[in-house]
Amino acid sequence: MTSPPLVIQALRQPGALTSLSLADWDLLLRQARQANLLARLHALLDERGLIVQIPPQPREHLEWSHASAERHTQAVHWEVTMIRKALAKTGAPIILLKGAAYVMANLPSARGRLFSDIDIMVPKGSLNEVEAALMLHGWAATHHDAYDQRYYRTWMHELPPMRHIKRSTVIDVHHAILPETAYVHPDPEKLRAAARTLDGYDGLKVFAPVDMVLHSAAHLFHDGELEHGLRDLVDIDSLLRHFSDTPSFWPGLVERAKELELTRPLFYALRYAALILHTPVPSDAMEAAQAGCPNRPTLALMDGLFTRALMPPHPSCSDWLTDTARRMLFVRANWLRMPPLLLARHLFHKAFISPKPEE
Amino acid sequence: MNVSSLTPPELGSLLKQAGIFLQTGSFITHLQTSIPSVAEGIGLLYADYPLAEQGGFADFHVSLAPPRDLRRWFKPQVLFLSDGDAPFKPLPLDQAFPMLEWGLNWCVSSHANRYLIIHAAVVEKGGHAAILPAPPGSGKSTLCAALVHRGWRLLSDELTLVRIGDGKIIPLPRPVSLKNQSIDIIRRYEPDAIISRKVSDTITGTVAHMKPPTDSVTRAAETAQAAWVIFPKYQAGEAARLEVLPQSRAFMRVADNAFNYSLLGTKGFETMANLIDASRCYDFTYSVLDEAIETFDALKPPAPSM
Amino acid sequence: MMWRLISDHAFCFRSWNDEFVVYNSLSGDTHLLGLAAAQILLELQQAPSDAITLATSLAPLLQAEIGEEFSLQIEHLLADLDKLALIEHS
Repeated sequence: MTSPPLVIQALRQPGALTSLSLADWDLLLRQARQANLLARLHALLDERGLIVQIPPQPREHLEWSHASAERHTQAVHWEVTMIRKALAKTGAPIILLKGAAYVMANLPSARGRLFSDIDIMVPKGSLNEVEAALMLHGWAATHHDAYDQRYYRTWMHELPPMRHIKRSTVIDVHHAILPETAYVHPDPEKLRAAARTLDGYDGLKVFAPVDMVLHSAAHLFHDGELEHGLRDLVDIDSLLRHFSDTPSFWPGLVERAKELELTRPLFYALRYAALILHTPVPSDAMEAAQAGCPNRPTLALMDGLFTRALMPPHPSCSDWLTDTARRMLFVRANWLRMPPLLLARHLFHKAFISPKPEE
Repeated sequence: MNVSSLTPPELGSLLKQAGIFLQTGSFITHLQTSIPSVAEGIGLLYADYPLAEQGGFADFHVSLAPPRDLRRWFKPQVLFLSDGDAPFKPLPLDQAFPMLEWGLNWCVSSHANRYLIIHAAVVEKGGHAAILPAPPGSGKSTLCAALVHRGWRLLSDELTLVRIGDGKIIPLPRPVSLKNQSIDIIRRYEPDAIISRKVSDTITGTVAHMKPPTDSVTRAAETAQAAWVIFPKYQAGEAARLEVLPQSRAFMRVADNAFNYSLLGTKGFETMANLIDASRCYDFTYSVLDEAIETFDALKPPAPSM
Repeated sequence: MMWRLISDHAFCFRSWNDEFVVYNSLSGDTHLLGLAAAQILLELQQAPSDAITLATSLAPLLQAEIGEEFSLQIEHLLADLDKLALIEHS
């Protein structure tokens, strides 16, 4: 077997980067930039005190991306402050999801992670009130097309994304972690009940550690957006490594997955994190997670698809099957979220309506 | 080895195949293209630029190529690709060389966050730099082109790089972009200037690029200290006139012309504030280039700060 | 009504003559402020305060007469600084 792309090797063993040649650095930087992991690479080296050992030319690029990441963290804090202010009067309990949660909870997964939207989850019953409060404070709907509006409102687990008129920041308001049309429905009430309040931020919560991992897994292995696939797998890797220190974490993880009907995505998450990023997963946890393992032909197919689609989107990491793999997974992801009739309708619309100029 | 050490056919075939590793200021760009007008522009305007080690480390991997769709058969176009990604929409094929220049500006301005990057021309004399920020149409490039033929060193025509930490200006001398009437104005002003052929109907009208003086290219590693921030404004019939601009106002206007001021956060603020502190700031109105040069030559550097 | 800065460590100041450039490291915004507005921020940096107290302590510095009109001006400035997310009610 050929060796994995440089960026994968770098994520597995950041310490080995100090002996990389300049030519290898050239390629590594390009792969990492395409996968939106350049700032992450800086963070991994910085944590180990190795930045000074990197040759000046590539170090320069790492510093450039670090500057963006620093400013990004600052901007996320401010945006969350603004959202909290806007929603204070609604009294709705707000749970921050994904990137925003990692940043605000100061988790290692946040270091060098760049993302564009802030995701929050509120109770379904508060959606209208939350939407109205956001509009009052300067956020406006981004999808004006009536079809898009109906798509989100009827079939999805979120409001259409809203953009702030002055700051141009985007918020996604969810009421569940998977669409209403998906075949599993992790109960938002259970997630909410276990959520933890953020230190110093009354009324702002993040998911409990096990739920954070499960949400990240559900997002990656139910979603069609595989351009960020590797970045999302890196999240899972980082969360698992971080929470590993808590003794109750691993036994609790699989139990919780069963409770939330997320054993399949958890199985994939552990499998591909261990396979691709060499994430240390205790053998009894891996064994328990087998509960979510698909039958053998499906697993063989998924291995073939995911080991390609989770590579960085750079020509140096693709073979002739990569595009096919990404397309098939997009169809599969939609298929997981929607009953067949709806799927046909949605894809039809996507395929035949030309893209709007703003996109 | 410089670009000029290659014959035009050698340059063309290298660009077409492995690409060249072009050193501009502190950046190395790996450029690959089979478009003849780009090879011609490189041979003419980048003759004095050093070539870095073939196949070595490059900061940017850039190519210019026709987009892969049917349009190429009846309306040829060109795409600027940065490591395979197209940050811009395609343009008509005859705009390939200007597109390369815009693309190279984009590469630097959207990545190089160790510098505060101001959209401004910057020239130097005696170690003191004059920064000329200005919106398009203010005559910034015309003035810059004239200055660099009258004893000022070109640091950059479009991107002023202020190093975070020590505030030094890092040269990035590249061809000076001239638009519309200013092309003929500079041809008359400096008949020896080497100017590429005109490309019309671009977003900014007719454009051509002027080769930077050899001395500016060979001294690209020499940094400079900011001494003046001057907002030029061409106004027909007006005598050359400097008006003192309060530094607080200059701060806001320069920040408004910076690509990454906001992205740099507190560091951006500190770098900008130190730059403004160290500079005398002016609004400058002019119509006659010789008068403008005279005004610049008479500029007094600020007293060294404590 | 008491006012305070949105944070004790959020601001960077530079002044040239009678004008101040203020960077808010929380919002990432930069503001150009006149002497009066900047002095209000500097006062609030010492301790939270209200419009009347601020008017009293700023009047000599700004060579203004303490009175209803000046207090009103201070209140306007406070409202503007609130809109810019530099200060908030305490």
